[in-house]
This record gives sequence, C-alpha cells and structure tokens, in this order.
Amino acid sequence: MDLLQLKNVSKTYNNKEILKNINLKLKKGENLAFIGPTGCGKTTLLRLIDLLERPDSGKIYFDGIDSNTSKKKQMEIRRRIGMVFQQPIVFKGSVYENTAYGLKIRGEDKNHIDEMVNETLDILGLGGYHDRNASTLSGGETQRLALARVIVTEPELMILDEPTANLDPISSEKIENLIHSITYKKETTIIMATHDLIQGQLLSDKIAILNGEISQIGSPDEVFRKPKTKFVADFVGVKNLINGTAKISDNNLTIINTGNITIYSATQISGKVHAGIRPEDIIISTKKVETSARNVLKGKVKELIDTGALVNLKIDVGEIFTVLMTRQSFLDLKINLGKELWIYFKASAVHVF
Amino acid sequence: MNEILEGIRQAVELIVTLNPEIVEITTRTLYISLSATLIASLISVPIGGLIHFRSFKGKRTLINIIQTLFSIPTVLVGLLVFLLISKQGIFGSYNLLFTPGGMIIGQTVLIMPIIIGFTISALSGVKKHINDLAISLGASEFQTIYTIMREAKYALLAAIILGFGRAISEVGVAMLLGGNIRGFTRVITTTISLETSKGNVALSIALGIILLAIALIINLILNRFQEK
Repeated sequence: MDLLQLKNVSKTYNNKEILKNINLKLKKGENLAFIGPTGCGKTTLLRLIDLLERPDSGKIYFDGIDSNTSKKKQMEIRRRIGMVFQQPIVFKGSVYENTAYGLKIRGEDKNHIDEMVNETLDILGLGGYHDRNASTLSGGETQRLALARVIVTEPELMILDEPTANLDPISSEKIENLIHSITYKKETTIIMATHDLIQGQLLSDKIAILNGEISQIGSPDEVFRKPKTKFVADFVGVKNLINGTAKISDNNLTIINTGNITIYSATQISGKVHAGIRPEDIIISTKKVETSARNVLKGKVKELIDTGALVNLKIDVGEIFTVLMTRQSFLDLKINLGKELWIYFKASAVHVF
Repeated sequence: MNEILEGIRQAVELIVTLNPEIVEITTRTLYISLSATLIASLISVPIGGLIHFRSFKGKRTLINIIQTLFSIPTVLVGLLVFLLISKQGIFGSYNLLFTPGGMIIGQTVLIMPIIIGFTISALSGVKKHINDLAISLGASEFQTIYTIMREAKYALLAAIILGFGRAISEVGVAMLLGGNIRGFTRVITTTISLETSKGNVALSIALGIILLAIALIINLILNRFQEK
C-alpha cells in the first residue's frame, strides 16, 4: 500500500492558485524531493501533507486513511508524521525540553523520554547541550535541534522544508549527512523541499519538479537527462537548449532544423520541438576526425570561462553550444578565443521534447 | 515647609517602629488587592485566551471595547458594583456592601479588562510558527493552547502585575464600596485621603511611602520579566 497518496489536490490563497491538480503516490521507504523555484508552492504542499492546511479540492490519504476527518483523527495521523520547518524556531526552554516535547504530549513515560532524548541528541551531535537554553543555539545547531525534535518521535514520514536554506556550507553538509544516515538506519520515508538540485539528487530516489503543478516526477536521472518540458529543462540546467522543426527521416532518425543548423536525434518525433544536449555529451577536436557520432559541426570559440578543474567553452556553430572540458585537454589542444573547432555528439545524446 | 519635613520625620518613625495601625492598614490593603488580582486573573486569563484563540464576528470591536475599559474611572466601577450589592441590588441579600468582600468584587471588576486585554496581546506576541510547530509535533488543541500560554508566561505575569498595580492604587472603588470604616475596610489610599483632609499629614506620608515602595517593587518585578 502507498504510505501517502494525493489525488487532484488544489489550493488557492487570495484568489491565486498556488497548487493545481497535484497527484502523487509514495511508497514506504521512498524518498521524494520537491524541487522548484521560490514561490512554486513547495511549502504549501508540505503543509497540506502535514495536515496543517486543508486543500480546497482533492484528497490526501495517509496510509490509506482519508485525512479529511475529525480533529482527533487528524492529530493521530500527524503523530505519525514529523515536519522540520524552514524557519529556525524553538520553544522557550532548554534543548532537552525542546527535544522531549513530542514524546511528552504523546504521554510517554519519563524513563522512555529520557532514553530517547539522550540517544537522539547524541546522534545529532548535541550531546552536551541538554541544559542549554535553546534560543542561544547557532543556526546550524537550531536546525539540528529541529531534526532531533522530529526524529525522537520516530515518525513514519518525515517532511523537511528546505532543511539547509539558512545555513552556511559546512552546517549544510552536516545536516545532509545526518539526514542521509538517519533515513538509512531508520527506514523513514522522507519528503523534502529544496531549491538545491544537488541536494535533491543526493538525498532522494525520486524527484518532482514543482511549479504550481508537478511538471515532472521520476528518478533523478530521468528528470535530469530527459526533461519533459522546457521549464524542467531550464530548471535542471540543460545548457544546450535549441528550438527547431523536426521530421522523421528514412533511416528512422529525426532531423531537426533550427533555421541555422541541422542536427540528428534518435528520438522519433515531428513538428515544433525543443532539443537539449548536455555539455558533457559533446566531444571536441581541432581537426575533422572519423567518428560514429551522427552530429558533426564546425565552429569558432566565442567565450572561455575558467572554472578551475573544468573549462567552459561557448562555441558558435550557427547556434551557440556550451561544452565542458578538463583543464588538461584544454591546454593540450591549445584552445584560444576565435579558434576553429569541430564538435561531435551522438544522435542518442540529443534529447527532444 | 517645616510642617512637611516634620511630617516626613514622623512618617519614617511610624514605619520604622512598625506602628500597629500602619501595619494593619497595609496588611488589609494587600489582602484585598491580592485577592482581587487572583480572582480577576483566574477569570480573565481564560477569557483572554478564548478571545485570542477563537475567531468570531466582532472580535476586533470587542478588543477595542476591552481596551477602552482599561481607563474606566474607578468611581464608575464603584458605583456600578454599589448598585448591584446595595440592599436594593440583585446581590443585596449577600450583605457585601461596606465589607472587604465587596471591595474585592469591585477591584476584580475594575482590573478584569486590563488583564483580559494584556492577556490577548501577550498571546498575540507568540509567533504563529510556534502554533504550527506544536500542532505538527502532534499536540492536541488543548496542548497547543497550553504550549502557547507557556511561551507567553512572562507577558501573562506582566498582565497580572499590571492589574494588581491598578487595584492597589485606586481610591474610588475602595471608598464607595468599603466606606473607609476604621479597623474593617480602611485601606492605604482611603486612609491617605481621609487623614490628609483631617490634617494628619504624618500618617498620610507614611502610607504614601509604603504605597510608593509597593509600586517600586512591582516595577522591578515587571522589568525582570520583560528582560526574559
């Protein structure tokens, strides 16, 4: 059975439709990341799932239970879910009192609370902080406390809203590692929202690109390699995105004419299309060579961006292509601005949608 | 000028020697005002909570009315309660007029708006996120309200202390409902009022110093809370 199911969920605030027809299924143990720009409805969606808000239409089922039910039943569902909010907030009181809150209101006995809180604070590296006033913690520590407060209740579903949004890189990495090890050990199902693609990829086995509605959902590889819409492609950072008209040729390849150049794709499609080629799928040479690659184009280097280990080239072959190469091969090929180059990529590397 | 200096000298002497009348009046004053504050708090904090946590039509107007009542003239409250507990009033049969009980009722009514009003603003001062956090962690409605009250505890204490400050320093209610009966309903403020008109400045000044000291202590406690 699905742990969580959303059916046609919509939500409107002040006449503005924030979420439209969200459909979603999540199995036990699956980790899902909602990724999208600021204001895409991530937080609202998470609040709906945590039953802090009601949808205007549609249904939310948790473990098969319809969440549109009495306050008491809703509370029972909520006690199986834990949410870490984006804003760092603490209750007045000590780190211990903050962490114990969830267990206390569930009426657990004192010894059990003691044991759980101690264990959780140790895991989160807050071991020596029991009596510390929670409001004096740093940003990273406060976020770890927020995690502790939720983890201690052993939720079946953990919701994380931008868990590292307000943190410095070192604290962010700490939190990411913690989330990773906790999900691994406790087999908790996690839903997180992030605007950080790498974080989403790192911590989840399913990614949903959100922009008021779910633009695409699938494995990170699927979403990153095969974006279904221009919004997703732009958002996941597909660099070489060109528009053209496609027709299927005799040898089952698709020929795409952009008006300036012609490229071949293995995806069969016709009509107006977007085509995306990932920079890492493009090969460069200074002379024309025999290759199995279907697409061979000649152009000039228009721009060079040195990013350290990798060099980012913009090559004008009629359309501008972004290509990445290692620093070493960049030096070996003696590339400079204006130099003539050949670029090669396979028909199968051209993703058309 | 000499008369005033002499008054202050005698006043200090009255206080230092723990003059029985001064001790008796001060004790009675504290008893009446503390009782009124306790009763008013037990009624007003839940009412303030109810107004804060429920949304209903006319909530804003109700809060405005409560805030207006902060500065209701004490004699007006005295008069109102007088009409209720005097022989012809609805509660006349309880014989509360000109008793400490009657004064407690009067002061309770007087300070209820202050405690209700400041309870509402104390609870409004708690961030909305705390509410969400409590609910999200699985708190029931009652547990959520308790949590928010706890977050606001210093502001709530401040509301109660403000109420006490108003109760102990007022004259109108104490005079109208207590009648300033010596050894029975005479409190600090009514004594000052009477003794001054009789020309007995020393006693008035002594009681004035005590009242000021109480006000000072209240202020110190309030400051301590506001720092937290």
